[in-house]
Amino acid sequence: MWKRMLVPVVAIWILCTLGGGAAAQVLNIAIPQDPDSFDPIKTVAAATSEVAFNIYEGLVKATPDGGVEPALASHWTVDEEGTRYTFYLREAFFHDGQQVTVTDVVTSLNRARDPELAVRAGELDMIKEVTGLEDAVQIELFEPNSAFLYLLTEIYASIYPAGAEDLSRKPVGTGPYYLAEWRPNQSLELRRFEHHWSGQVPYFAQVNFLIISDENSMVLNLKAGRVQLIPRLEVSVLHQVANSPGIKVQASPMNLVQLFAINNARPPFDDQRVRRALALGLNREEILIGAAWGQGILLDSALSPAMAGFYNDQLGEVNPYDPEQARELLRAAGQENLRFTLTLPANYPLHVQTGELAAQQWERLGLKVDLEIVEWGTWLERVYTQRDYDVSIIGLAGRLDPHSILVRYTTNSSRNFFNFSNTRYDELIELGIRAQGEERRAIYLEAQEILARELPGVFIMDPQQLAAMDERIQGWRSYPTYVVDLASLYQ
Amino acid sequence: MKRYLWRRAGGFLLTAVLVSAATFFVLQVLPGDPALLMLGTEGSPEAYARLRQELSLDQPLLQRYLKWFSAFLAGQWGNSWRYSLPVRELVGQAFPLSFVLALLAVGSAALAALPAGMYMAVRSDRLGSRLLSLFTQVGLGLPQFWVGILLIQFFAVQLRLLPAGGYDGWRSLILPVATLALPRTAVLGRFLRAGVLEVLGQDYVRFARSKGLSGTTVLFKHVLRNAALGPLTAAGVQFAQLVAGTIVVEQVFGLPGLGQLLLNGVFQRDLPLVQTAVMLVVLVILAFDLAFDLCLGMLDPRIRYE
Repeated sequence: MWKRMLVPVVAIWILCTLGGGAAAQVLNIAIPQDPDSFDPIKTVAAATSEVAFNIYEGLVKATPDGGVEPALASHWTVDEEGTRYTFYLREAFFHDGQQVTVTDVVTSLNRARDPELAVRAGELDMIKEVTGLEDAVQIELFEPNSAFLYLLTEIYASIYPAGAEDLSRKPVGTGPYYLAEWRPNQSLELRRFEHHWSGQVPYFAQVNFLIISDENSMVLNLKAGRVQLIPRLEVSVLHQVANSPGIKVQASPMNLVQLFAINNARPPFDDQRVRRALALGLNREEILIGAAWGQGILLDSALSPAMAGFYNDQLGEVNPYDPEQARELLRAAGQENLRFTLTLPANYPLHVQTGELAAQQWERLGLKVDLEIVEWGTWLERVYTQRDYDVSIIGLAGRLDPHSILVRYTTNSSRNFFNFSNTRYDELIELGIRAQGEERRAIYLEAQEILARELPGVFIMDPQQLAAMDERIQGWRSYPTYVVDLASLYQ
Repeated sequence: MKRYLWRRAGGFLLTAVLVSAATFFVLQVLPGDPALLMLGTEGSPEAYARLRQELSLDQPLLQRYLKWFSAFLAGQWGNSWRYSLPVRELVGQAFPLSFVLALLAVGSAALAALPAGMYMAVRSDRLGSRLLSLFTQVGLGLPQFWVGILLIQFFAVQLRLLPAGGYDGWRSLILPVATLALPRTAVLGRFLRAGVLEVLGQDYVRFARSKGLSGTTVLFKHVLRNAALGPLTAAGVQFAQLVAGTIVVEQVFGLPGLGQLLLNGVFQRDLPLVQTAVMLVVLVILAFDLAFDLCLGMLDPRIRYE
């Protein structure tokens, strides 16, 4: 053990003394946690996709504005029924030097939809068959599905060599960077891939993701110059960097939907008037400032404005702050003295603070709120899985396609821990998955309006993602998904 | 002596088995399902059922315990669920760091406490001694988190002399060691002061002085040897605590030690990682305890074992 430690120590010491000149092309990024696994079909942690976005690519990939652009497929065609997609492969190479073949693509995609292997296989269950042609891959769907193309940008649809082994720690992809070393709890070292199919070579030759779990330490490391970029700065330490010379902060919507989940199946919350009273009694402006230092955008329904193509911006007046009307609704429902439990997940300071502020506001209506702060494991078990709660709070991560976000509120969804049920809404989501273009957009606008009026929960805000960086770093691009795009950065 | 050693060895084994059972069953009793924690808010019931099966969570508790314990003895420590890496590798990287950190922290605390404690006892009426005493009080009271942040702010951000965090060789250990050593110096110094003051009043010290021995000889040969027992025991306890990892200091300085690893493991209910790491720490502490007791016997004839 001792010898093993001595070698890196000496090596690093030598590098530190020699490496002054090369430092210009090294970028150090602070993240709070290690990835869970680099096997695309096993990983579930957002921390992994953030890093792996730069290592793996699919047939297509996400763009910063929420669209889809060609990646390993140079172009694709869809037949008239909308069920047969043909993706034409371009000449591309894996990090290990092998050329990407049709077999690699077919194997990767079949592995991703195999329920025996893949954790999220269910998300690709619209695929009937994947077949390899000469220089293309044909994917046949059971029925038309407008979300399908977006799902191909997810990490589980990444392409890797058919015979690859031990991907969980040794990923092999086609992305602009490859993983050179992973030292758990310490750092991930990425190096740029010189043979990317685009012919472009990223500016930074080496990128280190340093694991720093304490947010104050992250800021000090940025100020001391040990890291140059914190992609997700905790809002509670924003004031420490806000006016620091040499540091800039770029804010963008996270595409996260923070909401008070209400157990719609449990009386008296099965009464829409009670749920609406909770919404009207909430001064969300005050919460935005009190809990998030004003760094967020108020939400009226289940989509963030970051979902530009589908966001319904007409819902601002549906649930205004109106304590008088809230009291009236409670009286009408016979619940003026309602007492309920608000369950908060302890590991999310933003949610806990939001919950505490909301509890005070609801008590001003004459309600009695019992706060219960639970560990994340307990939250997932009791609130999310067993649906044993009154009111809780959570942030639901954004996806590229509205269907993946909105399907959660349908009656039969296993992720519908609100126990929300609305027949028209279920119909709309069914229709939306087959519709295209303007028609699809109109369907989702109506779906959002139903959620705003019927209230599976009270929508709060989309917190800002705060990227703090050395002011010399240029080219930061924010995405509606949880990624850091290294290839676009330079200084 | 032989009988004593046998008895200690028996106690060692019994403790190890009891601890293994306790860690295993306590982790099972904790609310929070490992499979649920791994899947988060995007999981489906099918994926959940399969994952439980994959992790053998659907098997009876006792069966899993016996399987794990025999695998542990055979050196088959398996893969961490949280990191998808071999537990052996994770612990193998974190443990040496925690060990070195503990050794350096307690060692430097002891080195600093020796003159400080002696001075406070022998010159207890001087202003310097009073100041030192006040200083140790403060050292005991300061939260480590705050001291660590302050040290980084000063030495890394302002002066840019030392790294702000992470582990890049010995220079990275200076600030964490200082943070850890400060309260421990205070504890050891006060223990030593109390011990020396007590011994100074003993008859044999007066006798040694009246015999005509010089002040320093009396102090180092007769007083210190008798007064060191308390602080040495305290240092032993401090070391044992630090070997298991120092969560706060590791977090503040971004050090990849055992504390951080165990904390993440517990949050994610990473049973293979937590069980194995706790077992190893317990074994090291037990072994250290045994060795320490034998060493004390050498220092103090009254506690030699027959």
